Amino acid sequence: MAVAAETTPRWSRRHRLSWANVRRGSVPYVLLAPVVVALAAILGYPIYSLVRLSLQHYTLFELIAHKGQYVGLKNFGSVLHDQIFWHTLVRTIVFTVVNVGLTIVGGTAIALLLVKVSGWVRILLTSGLVLVWSMPQVVAVQVWNWMTNFQNGVVNYVLTELHVGNYYGHDFTQSTFSALGLVTTLIVWGALPFVAITLYAALSQVPGELVEAAEIDGARPWRVFLDVTLPILRPVLLILTSLSILWDFGVFTQPYLLIRQVHIHPSNYLMGIYLFEEGYLKSDYGRGAAISILMLLLVGALSFVYVRRMVRIGEAE
Amino acid sequence: MKTRMLVAAIVAVSLGVVAATASAGVHRAQANKLTVWLQVDAQSGWPDVVAAANAQFQQDHPGWSVDVQYQNWGDHLQKFDATLAGGNTPDVIEMGNTEMTKYMAAGAFADITSFKGSFANSSNWLSGLAKSGLYGGKIYGVPYYAGSRVVTYRTDLWNKAGIKTAPKSLAQFTADIHRLAVQNAKVKSFSPVYTAGTDWYFAMSFVYDFGGSIARTHAGKWVGNLDSKASIAGLTAWKNFYKAASKAPSTSDENNPPPYNVFSQGQAGSIVGPGWFSCCTGTKYKAVTAQFVMPSHVNGKPMPGFLGGSDLAVPAPSGNKALGADWIKDFTSTSAEKALQAKGNIPNATSLLGTSVNERAAARSWFVPAAKHWVDVENGNILRNMLAQILIGKLSVAQAAASASDNITSVLNGA
Repeated sequence: MAVAAETTPRWSRRHRLSWANVRRGSVPYVLLAPVVVALAAILGYPIYSLVRLSLQHYTLFELIAHKGQYVGLKNFGSVLHDQIFWHTLVRTIVFTVVNVGLTIVGGTAIALLLVKVSGWVRILLTSGLVLVWSMPQVVAVQVWNWMTNFQNGVVNYVLTELHVGNYYGHDFTQSTFSALGLVTTLIVWGALPFVAITLYAALSQVPGELVEAAEIDGARPWRVFLDVTLPILRPVLLILTSLSILWDFGVFTQPYLLIRQVHIHPSNYLMGIYLFEEGYLKSDYGRGAAISILMLLLVGALSFVYVRRMVRIGEAE
Repeated sequence: MKTRMLVAAIVAVSLGVVAATASAGVHRAQANKLTVWLQVDAQSGWPDVVAAANAQFQQDHPGWSVDVQYQNWGDHLQKFDATLAGGNTPDVIEMGNTEMTKYMAAGAFADITSFKGSFANSSNWLSGLAKSGLYGGKIYGVPYYAGSRVVTYRTDLWNKAGIKTAPKSLAQFTADIHRLAVQNAKVKSFSPVYTAGTDWYFAMSFVYDFGGSIARTHAGKWVGNLDSKASIAGLTAWKNFYKAASKAPSTSDENNPPPYNVFSQGQAGSIVGPGWFSCCTGTKYKAVTAQFVMPSHVNGKPMPGFLGGSDLAVPAPSGNKALGADWIKDFTSTSAEKALQAKGNIPNATSLLGTSVNERAAARSWFVPAAKHWVDVENGNILRNMLAQILIGKLSVAQAAASASDNITSVLNGA
């Protein structure tokens, strides 16, 4: 929007409204129009519907009748008084912190490794990363399911053969910790390529002479990383971190398919699953809408913090 | 101002174009095609019966085709909800008998009472199954088939262990299990009776066998009943049986892996489940597969089994209601039901009943509480969670039962 404001000629009394002026002035708006229309159609209208739905009593009966009943903020009240909501929120925050932390640390490590290794190793590593990236989530879940299947999973086999314990017939979704741990491995594995490749690109922005100078001054590699490399990577790291937070906070596909519906219960809910169970499975769509709006607000608050920091970094430069 | 008006015009035109193309895409008429949702059981078990019904239907209605779309039990309701919202429901849908009440109460199905006379054997429908399709005195669901649960076992292993006859009581069965376990101690993760840890259909059979139940009504309200003395006795007996008989993980379920896979891999002496499990015990064991009725703790009686079943319904928004009912007529004809019976199912009418093992097992049966919100208890995995807790030993039987029972009370009353 800032761009449009700057390039639009300001109307003043002295300017006469000629057709040429109008045409020139409207160009930015015309260029923006498709984006605005697309956003309104694919984002604005659904959000409007969602808000409307969240204020209605809307169950299977209303779904068939195509008409809900307005109940004000009752759905929000019922969600906020639900203990399961608060437990799920805390669990999801911990889950997000762990997943994002592992993704960013692991991705950074791989990116740094990529810089140091020889050419053909780099090609090998990068192709591996791209392969991981191109694997559809549902396929990856299936592979994970096979590997950890209690009857003949290869992970169970290897752990047992390594004498870590007896994992024959062990069900990894048995406890909340191991179920979500399993989901974490899948999510981090799937998220690493994007982070690693992006950071690798960002690393090429680190001027060699700065690193060299620091080394000549006697800085150890760790110091060089903290004081030279990291500050330059910071904007990219910020983007990656906040994107990862957005993705991991609302994650649904991996936990739902990996833990499987029959093993899902309030003690291993994540926010996305809580929303699905309450709204969809119980056919209480109004309440489901209220939950998703609360999630939207939470994620919105996170993004706000991030956008503000980004803008500040931009101003500082 | 002119600029703004120009912008407004462009936005309006673009939105109009989007709206026009969108609405053109949604209501594409599906001329002369009847859409039917059946569960995959039909696809794997009796595709010939489906084909015969389609052929009959097309013969009666030239120019019409039938599009049978196979669904999974796990997510067919979510898909159905989505079509109800969109108005593009199938014309016929198979529903589990435990799923019917919620949808009938919400008005999701068409009243097909007037077609009753056209359905074969409709005056002799199995009462339990017919009731699941009845709401407010009107018929919304046509009984399709029922299934009782029996024990499918390997005669070779039983002979080797020196067991001559099918057990007549739970105590005798337990003694047989010990002999089987000893005999097959060398087979890795061998279960004398493979049953999944959270197979609530099986566990609840013990509850009903000991005189307990999942829930009862009191003063017009539902009350969870798993914390009653009789229910706890049943759950305790189930836990002891499971610990002696099955190597399945405590949290496993009866769908994954299917018990007959464990059987066909040689890791089970027997499995408990629907009669049609005998279909898939593997070529290696086909000749040594036999079935008996799960015995009660009372000598000589069968243990009450879950009488599952399916109904066929016509969704209310369907534009082809009469045709839908007509397809159901073809699919539940006497010959179709007899074909289902031959595959190990229980046909939909008493006049067709035989003396097979699963039909004998149906003599004592239990059914889930006929409550509008029952399906929420199932989807919420309340029973499965309780069973896993009992097996893992985190909670005592009484504690786990009490917490599940409270939960069931609140869910069934629509809290």
